[in-house]
Amino acid sequence: MGKTTLQALTLVLALGVVVGCGEHTEHVVAPAREPISAFRGTIGLSVLTMDNPFFKEIADSMSAEAGKHGYNVIAVSGDFDVAKQQNQVKDFIVKRVSAIVLCPCDSKAVGPAIREANAAGIPVFTADIACLDPTAAVVAHVATDNLEGGRMAAEAIVEALDGKGKIAVLDHPVVESVIQRTTGFEERLGELNARPDVDIEVVAKLPGGGDKATSFTAAQDLIQAHPDLGGIFAINDPSALGARAALENSGKADRIKIVGFDGQPEGKRAIKDGKIYADPIQFPDRIGREAVDIIMKYMNGEEVPKQLLIPTGLYRQEDALKDPTLD
Amino acid sequence: MLNAGSDVRSVASRFMSDYGMILALLVLCLFFSWVTWDEQYPTGAYAGEQVARRAAKTHQKGARVLIVARTGEKDALFAEAASAHLNEAGLIVVDTVLGQPIDARRALVRIFEAAGTIDVIVCTNAAAAWPVLYNADRAIPELLETTLIRPEPYHWPSFLMASNLLNVANQIVVIAIIAIGMTLVIVTGGIDLSVGSLIALSAVIATVLIRDVSQAGQAGAIGMIVCCAAGILACAAVGTFSGLMVTAFSIPPFIVTLGMMLVARGLGYILAEGQSVYQVPESFIWLGRGKAVLGIPISVVLMAALYVLAHVVMSQTTIGRHVYAVGGNSEAARLSGVPVRRVIVFVYAVCGGLAGLGGVIQASQLKSGSPTYGLMYELYVIAAVVVGGASLSGGRGKVFGTLIGALIIAVIQNGMNLTGVESYTQKIVLGFVILGAVLLDMLKRQDWRIFRRSR
Repeated sequence: MGKTTLQALTLVLALGVVVGCGEHTEHVVAPAREPISAFRGTIGLSVLTMDNPFFKEIADSMSAEAGKHGYNVIAVSGDFDVAKQQNQVKDFIVKRVSAIVLCPCDSKAVGPAIREANAAGIPVFTADIACLDPTAAVVAHVATDNLEGGRMAAEAIVEALDGKGKIAVLDHPVVESVIQRTTGFEERLGELNARPDVDIEVVAKLPGGGDKATSFTAAQDLIQAHPDLGGIFAINDPSALGARAALENSGKADRIKIVGFDGQPEGKRAIKDGKIYADPIQFPDRIGREAVDIIMKYMNGEEVPKQLLIPTGLYRQEDALKDPTLD
Repeated sequence: MLNAGSDVRSVASRFMSDYGMILALLVLCLFFSWVTWDEQYPTGAYAGEQVARRAAKTHQKGARVLIVARTGEKDALFAEAASAHLNEAGLIVVDTVLGQPIDARRALVRIFEAAGTIDVIVCTNAAAAWPVLYNADRAIPELLETTLIRPEPYHWPSFLMASNLLNVANQIVVIAIIAIGMTLVIVTGGIDLSVGSLIALSAVIATVLIRDVSQAGQAGAIGMIVCCAAGILACAAVGTFSGLMVTAFSIPPFIVTLGMMLVARGLGYILAEGQSVYQVPESFIWLGRGKAVLGIPISVVLMAALYVLAHVVMSQTTIGRHVYAVGGNSEAARLSGVPVRRVIVFVYAVCGGLAGLGGVIQASQLKSGSPTYGLMYELYVIAAVVVGGASLSGGRGKVFGTLIGALIIAVIQNGMNLTGVESYTQKIVLGFVILGAVLLDMLKRQDWRIFRRSR
């Protein structure tokens, strides 16, 4: 039986080698004058997760904008798993895409994947979340001005708590965009605390995982550990909504104010209903369009900026009540 | 003569019952080859030669040629071969651009400003898609007089491209290696749910040790090997602990390894302080990404070697026979003198150690260790073992069968990626494939009894 196994396996391996050599078949064709015509290309996009409508919007707007230039977009989700994202990048390289756009699941660990694309000569762009590996070459980065957004969030929380109280932060330090938000938040909070009428203390900083479920449990723990908590800064809408659910569950919804980030439809509705105090909002459709715009400029041989930061604004309840897009 | 005939038939039927999944794998490969039939464009030196020949055939000597390609090894080879053949044919290579579209634009502008002309541009297929080259009316008007030659396409399934097949092998390495250990555990009638967490634990231990003890970015080879060994041994120790819990207190393996799964995951988070550990030297990626013979990754070679070793151990050695005996009927085995407890501890230790090795390879591939690695991997590992023909009740299962199971899962995932199936649909397909494989196997073993009863 051992011998038959070995023989069968050798056969399969031989088959594999033979078919693998298919790449080098001679293709002799009568040469002709090649007219210049438009070639289509493909853009490979891998986002952090498709569960967050923020990234779905980036993918959709990219597909729409790229379609106008004759490119199609393959959008896949890394599902918070950087190893999965690396495999997706490898598949893009095999499919010989014209460009790769990434929203890295892990700003540092995505480096090797980007370097593989560099070695294959495919240009890599990042959207929303940057790559923090200095050895990986990224052509351009398009994102919201997260640092500024973080600063606005600090102003919002001071406003919400009338300048005094204890707050906690639900973050996700694995991705660069969140690191920027919390850095801006802490910086601005430090500046505001220097004022005599402001005394906000950050009592805890827990990982919310960037998603509803993890933030729900983290917020529950926060409420238990700090019964006099006054506010929570959650680094995106799913985290903020998860925290809100935890507050409603424990009956403390009226005492603790939440500041989120993103301004997605679900988040905006929550702001309108007063469930979330305010959001620095993002424009994911603009991120998608600007990314495609930069890719086209790059392909056309024009100079592109290393970084394009889209300004953000603070969206409060009064904005939500005036917003025609919300029911 | 009759004996020889029935011998061949019984050998063949035994082979099919142990490795029948190989047919399923071949069918899948054929299917995906058919659906991914597409235009492919040659690259590298062959492509360079091809375009140079075509340029020489359609233009006279002295024609001025610009070579354009991207960055990377294949593009450099393309440019070299094109340049050599063009010179041979008497055409003049005005310039070679190896870079980004902006470099091509700058080269074109420079040449045209110096009042030069370009009769032909030869380029790779990727560069031919740059608007700066083909969109002459928008970019550079002089280009309207220039011919663009790119490589001729050929037709071949994307699935069977050498680069894709290597990709498939690479993607399955971590899961396949761990599946060896899982096969042993499942053959004894147990299960190990902690392997996913052990991947993270060993990745974290190895990288944290390199960062804190072995001088981070300046760590030498010996230092890195010791740190990785520490990670692997730690996981083997966890596996041993699981095995001892199962044998000493008769706690079901499902529960023991479920508990250890949580313990190991928590340990990983504590050691890494919730962050990903990336302070490792560049050479750390050798194991995960280095290439050995013929461009085959080292990790794939390691996987093949481990499978051969495991097959030899399981089929030719005493310990292998003991593992099957324990799985088939542990009471009978014990009465026949098989050291049942030691065998069970052994298989869990091996499974833990191999999960540790998988974690080290994962860390090497991603040049960092994170407590979030290996999430849900235990399910894929178990799926590979089960699809490969091992029975969850123990006593049956071949190591190479597991390899085929892992390849089936990898081929299906890769095929679905190539054909653009949405990732959520992929999960559904994979789930049904696992169910189907187990159902098929069960029916085969029962000689399709469930259909005969209706007669």
